[in-house]
Amino acid sequence: MKLAVFVSDYKNTVDTLDRLKAEKLGIIFVANGVYHATMKEDGNSSPLLKKSADFYALSEDLDTRGLGSKTDSSVKVINYSGLVDLIFNEYEKLVWL
Amino acid sequence: MGKLTIGCFSSLVGSMNLDFSVKLASAAIEKGHKVDFWVSGNGTMLSIKGQKAFKDYTHLEKTVKELMTKGLTATACEACAEARGYHKENTIEGFKRHSMDWYLASIFDADRVLHIGGE
Amino acid sequence: MATTKLGFIVQRPPYKSENPKLALTHAIASQSVEIYLNDGDMVTADLAFIGDGVLNCIKNQKAMENYGLTSTESHIKSTLMLDLSVFVCREDLDKFGLSEDDIVMDAEEFGAEVKVKVVPFSEINKMMEEVNHLLFF
Repeated sequence: MKLAVFVSDYKNTVDTLDRLKAEKLGIIFVANGVYHATMKEDGNSSPLLKKSADFYALSEDLDTRGLGSKTDSSVKVINYSGLVDLIFNEYEKLVWL
Repeated sequence: MGKLTIGCFSSLVGSMNLDFSVKLASAAIEKGHKVDFWVSGNGTMLSIKGQKAFKDYTHLEKTVKELMTKGLTATACEACAEARGYHKENTIEGFKRHSMDWYLASIFDADRVLHIGGE
Repeated sequence: MATTKLGFIVQRPPYKSENPKLALTHAIASQSVEIYLNDGDMVTADLAFIGDGVLNCIKNQKAMENYGLTSTESHIKSTLMLDLSVFVCREDLDKFGLSEDDIVMDAEEFGAEVKVKVVPFSEINKMMEEVNHLLFF
């Protein structure tokens, strides 16, 4: 399945995400999930960014948190308009964590 | 163009999940998609009229009303609303109230479904 | 005639969050959705309890006695009475040291023929692939 997972929290969504299987996986960082796309702990990026997936982060939620210019290079920054296109054109099922 | 059904169960004030949902609905409508919006649980708070636009609190009544004029179908879970003392006379004009099967019926012919759970 | 299959995935413990109960009540609503649909069209709901969500399934809940609320256990039994498929993740039960003896497995007292299926997570993943849409609670 083509699955897009919205990660909306910083800490407590990793376990479930690790278990989901999809032939095409997209991880979309929104709300506090955008910290996964930007922050390093002890010098290390979020383990989520090591997954085999395409990564996206919502620009409005990055900017809201003062993180607009700090996104990891593996993450594509999109706005709401881009998010709508992603939902309809790239993925079939959506999961919010 | 497709149909997007959004279900959001989070409170109006607190998590900003409804802010996200409404902005997504708006972007989808701007692109010509049909959007059904279901609120259940604490999300039914969105359906209440008279939200004051304090800048420290999420206030979406005006935005939702504008989106409904552009084609948004917004529906609240009637039982969830009544359980919280949100009655029909307190509901935003045009905001529907139905039982939970309305949500599933909307999903029936939706191309995409984004279900956002509550707190 | 068309069928839309939904997968309801419950991943939180009961009571502190309304989510698990709303998952059950919305899944149960699949039984009355036909009033909105054309003849022959239908919506089916499969339920899966994963992670901390398996704690919803512990039996002998006394929510009515203590808080005057229908227990999550009762709602699970209602889904069985309506022949919904209910899956519980075996690995997550094991993690908590729970067995089939500790959880709701059937609703025989109400005449339900369907039983809860305790399955490995791979089976729940398979269900998630087979449904049209996923709803995580």
